[in-house]
Amino acid sequence: MTAALLDACLALCLPLLAWLVLRTESLSQSVVLFVAMGLLSALAWARLDAPDISLVEAAVGTGLTGALLMHTLSWTDERPPDVAARARHRPWAVVAMAALTGMLGWAVLSLPSDDPGLTREVDAHLAESGVEHPVTAVLLNYRGYDTLLEIAVLLVAVLGARAVNPRSERTTPEPSRDPLTGELFRMMTPALLLVAGYLVWVGEHGPGGAFQAGAILAGGGVVALLTTRLGTPRMSSWRVRWALLTGPLLFIGAAVAPLFSGRALLEYREAQAGTVIFVVELALTVSIAMVLWMFFPGMRPARAERSGKEPS
Amino acid sequence: MSPTAWMAWPVILPLLGAVLALLVGRKGVRVVAGVASVATFTASAVLTWEVATRGVLRQAIGGWGPPLGIEWRADGLAVLMLLTIGVVGPLISVHALDHLGDREDREFLPLWLFVWCALNALVLSADAFNLYVTLELVTLASVALIAVRRDRPGLDAGLRYLLFALPGSLLYLLGVALLYGLYSALDLGLLGQRITPGPVAWVAAGVMTLGLCLKTPLFPLHVWLPPTYTGAPTPVTALLSALISKGSYYVLLRLWLEVFTPILDWQVGQFLGVLGAAAVLWGSLLALSQSQLKRVVAYSSVAQIGYMFLLFPMATLGARTGAVYLVVSHAAAKASMFVAVGNIHQAVGITELGGVQGLAYRMPFTFLAMALGGISLIGMPPSGGFIAKWILLEESIWTGQWWWGLVLLLGGLLASAYVFRILRGSFLPLPPGVTVRSIPLGNELAPLALALIALVLGLVPWFPLELLAVGTAR
Repeated sequence: MTAALLDACLALCLPLLAWLVLRTESLSQSVVLFVAMGLLSALAWARLDAPDISLVEAAVGTGLTGALLMHTLSWTDERPPDVAARARHRPWAVVAMAALTGMLGWAVLSLPSDDPGLTREVDAHLAESGVEHPVTAVLLNYRGYDTLLEIAVLLVAVLGARAVNPRSERTTPEPSRDPLTGELFRMMTPALLLVAGYLVWVGEHGPGGAFQAGAILAGGGVVALLTTRLGTPRMSSWRVRWALLTGPLLFIGAAVAPLFSGRALLEYREAQAGTVIFVVELALTVSIAMVLWMFFPGMRPARAERSGKEPS
Repeated sequence: MSPTAWMAWPVILPLLGAVLALLVGRKGVRVVAGVASVATFTASAVLTWEVATRGVLRQAIGGWGPPLGIEWRADGLAVLMLLTIGVVGPLISVHALDHLGDREDREFLPLWLFVWCALNALVLSADAFNLYVTLELVTLASVALIAVRRDRPGLDAGLRYLLFALPGSLLYLLGVALLYGLYSALDLGLLGQRITPGPVAWVAAGVMTLGLCLKTPLFPLHVWLPPTYTGAPTPVTALLSALISKGSYYVLLRLWLEVFTPILDWQVGQFLGVLGAAAVLWGSLLALSQSQLKRVVAYSSVAQIGYMFLLFPMATLGARTGAVYLVVSHAAAKASMFVAVGNIHQAVGITELGGVQGLAYRMPFTFLAMALGGISLIGMPPSGGFIAKWILLEESIWTGQWWWGLVLLLGGLLASAYVFRILRGSFLPLPPGVTVRSIPLGNELAPLALALIALVLGLVPWFPLELLAVGTAR
């Protein structure tokens, strides 16, 4: 009964919040509503028995993305877009979206509701995969190649973020003078490290893994960025480059090693699979944390500095 | 190393090169990228040779095989694309070295290696979700490449590209999710066997086609193309037009010919054909009416993409050969033309069409390249464009759909008009007061090499045609 009530509440609130995010007049309100929507959708994933997705949604989709959006707000001069006027000008967009939604609804409703997908195959080979958690087995073993390319996507995203935000490499941050935030950071750090470490370790047999742990570490990094003198990591420093690239290099190494003994890419030996996956995940955690951390530009330069000139 | 093991290297080597290029910092980037390029090209060539002599190769990544794992499949079509990327891409990047500044250079090279890795992964992949990952990697790396100069036009163009290409990828992903939901498979071969007509398959085919057409782009979704191609640095525009836009087209071709064939009525193919024909005519007419040189070449890409969609109404193996031949020859010809445009901008600093006046005498190689590339775009013999259009024309008559042949001829006529508009200006006397900066010889030769490839494709079509036939007997 309570479960049904909770589900009904989620099903009602999510579309409502999404609508509010789009319609609200102020950008900062819209960001706050977006974070709220993210948290609720994390709950929804949990209700759908997908704790791994729920964790990532909460940590990356809501936590880091929300922080990134708010941080970006501090760089913009808030001028709310005139949403209503634009909607009036584009009735065809409404028609197109309604058609797409209708089509998708039609297709989704005709899907079988109790289809196990590949669950049986995933479970049947779990013993050979080197880990006990099916999600980790899919991400790091069965479809490890997808993950390898996704790591490349993350590296590219860092390069792209650097291109659109040239000043992030130069600005020296002005640390917050609020004594509370500094103290908060000192208290949080050990807990963050512990949680991240636990998440990597637990990924072997339960929901967790490199992405979630990396996101938690990056969260700590962002707090550090806002409260201490530490600037955004720069690619020009060799320490940053090694921290960023050791994970991908190890992963590539682990992927190609089997090729030299006549096996396929990423075809680990059954006995070593567990160890290889753990080491790769550990290194990837650091890289993913670096990537997510490096999306954050430095603090906003003082107004006098910004006036007049476009970034060149 | 076994022949199938060779499939890994065209994907892994550029990836490794990109990571190492980032790692070595500012000094060694060129050396690392150079070594990685040579190695990747060699791997692609070896794999092509293996496929040409042994037939289709497969590798079950991780040793699992479908439906659980991902499979690489190298048939003639895949390795021909691999070879095209491996030849055209490095020639463009050689041009980029002198065209971009020093800092842009260091950022261009790793990004280009990521694009190379993603495109190679894309052509080899036989897995619908893995194809999404490769498309995502191509898209994001392209955005970073477009904005590599960090100037206002580049950032605008990059953001515009992102805002159109990302929904394209997401629509594709929606389709993948629907297909997986019903058929519990992601492997293209398995999906092709299991697919049945019904709402899921139709909607999946619809959203995937829409998404990929948005990325390629097909008329009337091409609105982002001219401003993006104009705002991006010229070497990046060459990559976008020659190779990157072909990635999403390649996925569409695989899906339609290998997965969706049983569920699609002939009307759907005709519909895509009509849009392709409209792209040919509309793109050519707009190319003819542009005043900026780079926009002429950009609109010509809209038209050339249109020809490639004439494959879908005919949907025969012959038409596939013609369309793929056009993809390959357009890659070489259009890359050569954009690189030539870059040279012209560098030499006189004028972006208007009138800026080419008198330059044929000062930059003979660049304009020779422009002319040879133009011949292939028009479809005059001897050129790859001629062979491609000839095959398509033959096929249109063979399948009793002569009206597509008419589109081919009309498009060729319009193309000759806009190509000659550029060439005619270049032979006029140099206007007084214009100073022509000299261009490094390497930059003059890069477009010529590309144009010669388009020419050779017209002179010796046997090798690519035989290669394309590998793996088609089903």
